Amino acid sequence: MAILFQTILFYCFAVFLIGAALGVILSRNPVHAVMFLVLAFFQSAVLWLLIEVEFLALVLVLVYVGAVMVLFLFVVMMLDIDVEQVKGGLTRYAPLGFAIAALMVFELVQVIWVRGRFASAAEGFVPLPEGYSNTEALGAVLYTEHVYAFEIAAVILLLAIVAAITLTMRKRPGLKLQNIAQQVAVKREDRVRLVKMESEKPE
Amino acid sequence: MIGLNHYLTLSAILFSLSVAGIFINRRNLILLLMCIELMLLAVNFNFVAFSRALGDETGQVFVFFILTVAAAEAAIGLAILVVLFRNRGSINVQELDSMKG
Amino acid sequence: MSSLIPQFVVDLWDAIPMLFQHLIIITAQILGVTIVVILTVAFTTYFERKVIGYMQGRLGPNRVGPLGLGQPFADVIKLVIKEVVIPQRSNRFLFLIAPMLSLIPALAAWAVIPLSGSFVIADINAGLLYVLALTSVGVYGVILGGWATNSKYAFLGAMRSGAQIVAYEIAMGFALVGVLMAGGSLNLGVIMQAQAGGFSSWFIIPLLPLFFVYFISGVAETNRAPFDVTEGESEIVAGFHVEYSGVAFALFFLAEYANMILVSALTAIFFLGGVASPMEGWTFLGDGSFLREPNFFWLAAKISFFLFVFFWLRATFPRFRYDQIMRLGWKIFIPVTIVWIAVEAVMAWMKVGPWSV
Repeated sequence: MAILFQTILFYCFAVFLIGAALGVILSRNPVHAVMFLVLAFFQSAVLWLLIEVEFLALVLVLVYVGAVMVLFLFVVMMLDIDVEQVKGGLTRYAPLGFAIAALMVFELVQVIWVRGRFASAAEGFVPLPEGYSNTEALGAVLYTEHVYAFEIAAVILLLAIVAAITLTMRKRPGLKLQNIAQQVAVKREDRVRLVKMESEKPE
Repeated sequence: MIGLNHYLTLSAILFSLSVAGIFINRRNLILLLMCIELMLLAVNFNFVAFSRALGDETGQVFVFFILTVAAAEAAIGLAILVVLFRNRGSINVQELDSMKG
Repeated sequence: MSSLIPQFVVDLWDAIPMLFQHLIIITAQILGVTIVVILTVAFTTYFERKVIGYMQGRLGPNRVGPLGLGQPFADVIKLVIKEVVIPQRSNRFLFLIAPMLSLIPALAAWAVIPLSGSFVIADINAGLLYVLALTSVGVYGVILGGWATNSKYAFLGAMRSGAQIVAYEIAMGFALVGVLMAGGSLNLGVIMQAQAGGFSSWFIIPLLPLFFVYFISGVAETNRAPFDVTEGESEIVAGFHVEYSGVAFALFFLAEYANMILVSALTAIFFLGGVASPMEGWTFLGDGSFLREPNFFWLAAKISFFLFVFFWLRATFPRFRYDQIMRLGWKIFIPVTIVWIAVEAVMAWMKVGPWSV
C-alpha cells in the first residue's frame, strides 16, 4: 500500500516537473518562465525527498528558489526587455529543437532500460538503516574526504561575489554619499561655534 | 516500485527538454541561462539517483558542489548580462556581434 | 475518555486502511494548527492596536464587543465582503496568485515547530533547514505582487522588499548556524531539548549576539517597522500591496502577521528553550509543580513577549532609511555572526561552555 502510494506520488510530481519544464521553454513572458522554473525546482525537491535525500532537497529549495531564482526575477523585471521582439523567432527552430529532444530521449531511455545495469524495474533503492540521518552522513563525507574540494567551493563563491560586484558597480556622477566613519569621528568644534555677544538692552 | 530507472528516465526527459529550450529560445540570453540551470538540475537528478541506488554519499557531495558552482555561475552570468544590457540596450544574442571580424 | 466514543465509530475507524488513518490524522493536525495560527493572527492585530494605543496614550479599539474583543472579526467581515479590484493593465494570474504565495510558506513552516514537549506535525531531521527554505520562499509573494500590479509605487516597494529580505536572510542563516552548532542537530525538538534545565542553560546566554541578530533580522524579514520601507506610506503610498483590496489584501495581511508569530516562535525555540520552563531548576517548588514542567503555555508566553517587542519597536523607532538598512544587514550583522561563530568554534574546541558536547 505504501509502495503504491509512493509510486502514485512519483508519477504525479514527475508529470508536474515535466509540465513545468515545458512551461520554462515555451512561455512567452520571461517572468512566467522564471516562475515555471521555480515550480520545477520545487517538484524536484519533492522527488528527492521521496528517495530520502532530504538535505539536498531542502538545500535545493534554499539556494535555488530562495536566492538564485530571486536574482533571475530581479534581472528579468529590471531590464525592460521587449518581449515580442525577443521571442520573434520562436516557430522557426522549434521543430528542429523538438526533433533533437525526442531523439535524445529515445536514445537515453533505450540505454537506461535496455542496456542498463539495473535493467529490472523491480529493483528499488538501497534501504536506509534505522536512525539514519542524511545530513550527518553527508557531513561525515564532506568534511573528511572532500574537505579540499569544499574549501575550493568556498573560494569560488567568494570569487563570484567579488566578480558580480565589480562587474555591476558603477560610480554615477553627482551621487551624494554618506561617510559614516567621518560622521562618527566628528567633533563638537567642527560643527558648533559658540558666540559671545551682548544681549540687547531695552531703550 | 519506483527504482533507479524511473529517476534516470525523468532526468533524461528533463535534459532533452532543456536542450530543446536552448534551440527554441536561442535569441534571449536570460532564457538560455535558465535552460542551463534546468540542465544542471537534470544532471543533479542523475547524481542523486545513482547515489541512492549504490548507497554511497559521494554522489550527493557532487550535487552539493554542482549547486555551489551553479549559484556562482548564475550570479556572474546575470552580472555580465546586466552590464551588457546597460551598454548595448539589448540582450538579443544576434545583436551581440561587435567582435565579428 | 475512550468510553465516550460510540462503538460504531471505533469499528468504522478500524475498518479504514492504515495509510488512510494516518492521512486523516495528519490532515486533522494540520487543520488544527492552521486554525489556531489564523485565530492567533486575528487577536494579534487586536493586541497590536491595544499595545500601540496605550503607548501613545489612546485606548485602542474598544467599541465592538466587550473591551473591543470583537474588532478582529469585524475587520475580517469588512475585508471579506469588499470587492477585489484587479487593475486593468495588470498581470491577472500573477496578481491573484501572489497573496497565496506569501501566505502558504508562512503557514507551512509551522509543520516542524514543536508545540509541546512531544507534539509536532512533522518530526523531520532537517527541520531547521526546512524552516529556512520556506521562509526564503515567502519573498516571491511580495515581488510578484508588486510587479503584477503594474504600478511604479508597487514595483519600487517590491524591489526594496526583495533586496532587503535576501540580505537579511544571510545574517539569519548565519545566526542559525551558531544555534545548530550549540544544539548539535537540525531537528527543532532536539535543539529544544538541548536547552532543558532552567534559564541558565538557554542558548540566549552563550549566543547573545546571535539572538539579537536573529530577532532583528526577523523584524526586517517580516517588513515590520522600523524596517518597513517596502510599505513606506510617506514615500511610496503602501508599497507592493497598494492596489490590493478585499480578500487579496487580507491574505497579505494574514501572511505578515503569521510570519511575525512564526519569527517569535522560532526565536523562543532557538534561544529561550521553546516549551521549557525558566524555573526548571527551582527545586523548592516541589517535584510535580506545574511551573517546572515544560508545556505549551511557556511557549505561548514567550511568543507573546516577542510579539509585544515587535509592537514596542514599531511604537518607538522612526523608519530606517533604505541605505542604512542595507548597511546594517551587510556590514554589521554578517560580520558579527561570523565572528561569533568563530568564537563558538574555538570555545567548543577548548571544551568550555554548554556546547562542549
